[in-house]
Amino acid sequence: MMLVHYVRLELLRLLRDPGYLIMTLVSPLTMYLVFSNLDLGGSASADGALYSMVGMAGFGAIGAVMTSGVSISEDKPLGWIRQLRLLPLAPSQVVVGRALCAMAAALPPIVAVCLAGGLVNDVTLSPGRWLAVFALLWLGIAPLAVLGVGFGYLLTAQKAQMAGLAVYMGLSLLGGLWFPIGKMPSWLASVSRLTPVNRYGELSWSVAGGHAPTLVGTLVLAAWAAAFTVFAVVGYRRSAQTV
Amino acid sequence: MEAVEVHAVEAHGVTKSFGAVRAVDGLGLRLDRGRTVALLGPNGAGKSTLISMILGLRTPDTGTVRVLGGSPERAVRAGRVGAMPQTGRLIGGVTVRELVGFVQRAHASVARGPMPSTAELMDIARISDLAGRRADGLSGGQAQRVRFALAVAGAPDLIVLDEPTAALDIESRHELWVAIRACAERGATVLFSTHYLEEADAEADRIVVVDRGRVVADGTSDEIKRRVPGRTVSVDASVLPDPSGLPGVLSSEVDGRRVRLHTTDADATVLALAAAGAVRDLEVTGASLEQAFLTLTHSAPAGTETPEAVR
Repeated sequence: MMLVHYVRLELLRLLRDPGYLIMTLVSPLTMYLVFSNLDLGGSASADGALYSMVGMAGFGAIGAVMTSGVSISEDKPLGWIRQLRLLPLAPSQVVVGRALCAMAAALPPIVAVCLAGGLVNDVTLSPGRWLAVFALLWLGIAPLAVLGVGFGYLLTAQKAQMAGLAVYMGLSLLGGLWFPIGKMPSWLASVSRLTPVNRYGELSWSVAGGHAPTLVGTLVLAAWAAAFTVFAVVGYRRSAQTV
Repeated sequence: MEAVEVHAVEAHGVTKSFGAVRAVDGLGLRLDRGRTVALLGPNGAGKSTLISMILGLRTPDTGTVRVLGGSPERAVRAGRVGAMPQTGRLIGGVTVRELVGFVQRAHASVARGPMPSTAELMDIARISDLAGRRADGLSGGQAQRVRFALAVAGAPDLIVLDEPTAALDIESRHELWVAIRACAERGATVLFSTHYLEEADAEADRIVVVDRGRVVADGTSDEIKRRVPGRTVSVDASVLPDPSGLPGVLSSEVDGRRVRLHTTDADATVLALAAAGAVRDLEVTGASLEQAFLTLTHSAPAGTETPEAVR
């Protein structure tokens, strides 16, 4: 119940900063339209448009949750994290609440890239699959949202930005959001399959292709989610130590 | 009446170090409920570190801190502690009403009894006229009153204020104290740290003087003043070029045109001054809280010659 109030307050702050929402839209949307029309994926097929739609929506979602982490680190010098620590709120509630806000921030790029896919690049899916792809793109970002939140609590704004950028660019590339891991050397593809980003993309690629998400993929993602949650809760508790 | 008397704060042998610096050094303290207590000490005395442990933000290296009969974290989680940390500004993107309303609802979710509504809170903190303003666009005094409203939103049993009036102008200080007093009158225990001695003198039932991480004095303002023996005898400096050799005088200082003699025997000092013909604008005063504070904490007042410590 309290979680709702907290999420509402943080969402209010997010919505009153429209520049932030617009920024998270621009690069994935532009990249999607450029990439898919330059046909860097190698095949002009509908498969390619679908593949990079999921990839770029995921890429945009990662950017949004990492940016959200940076905004947490900007709250720290204000004493806001400590203020929350002094309220009757459990650390897990605050971390979950902030992660939900980060996920909310990920909605615009996901919606925008999916719309561009359907309207501009003629991605055709049944309504049920559209819904599944969209839902998994959004829900699957949760572990990375928690990671971004952890960066925000533990790092200064500058370092959170660098860490966020490393995940945004580095893991997106390694995770196969830009091009399929099938085009990577096999050893690199094996590494990629261990990353949360690859398993995140895999959820939506699977359902778009008519398969259920794999058990292994879901387990890898769940393991990362657990680790990131511990990281974020520890970060939150640490960040409020001073008076 | 409660069967077992529970203290608002109880600290035993508390130590906290940061690297090589021992900020709190074997500190013990017991605060009864319903009192207003000032925590007084020079910069770096360990006040803020002690407060962070009372609020459960830090854990002591050794010793124990109990708040309202349990762990600090438990008291905070139960909404029984309200705090106004020393530093901190208000977040952007929300109005004062939204911010106060959120904190009020956070406390209402664990309510132990009647809670002030958001409107009542804003009235108590004298910020009703700021309700629609953006929280990050307020003046220092206004922001501090909003922070006070956040601290008392849960009708806390213990209110901890770390230098609440630092950097406020006189009028803002006054307004904030009106609000703090209102909460104290409702039975809350108020613990505040301050640099303003007159504030401790005027507002606190009890003053705890902390220096180098320890409690060096603890009592009412009068008791603390009495801890400093002696009087101050002052005369016009022109009639007394050399204050040495006067009976009872432990130290002296020249402040502008006055020479001040800190003495353990004012009568003998005054008689000797009279005998030497050095009486002009003679004044004998008791120890002020400031003198007591300086003596107890061995810190030098700014802008005067440092006298030998009066002990």
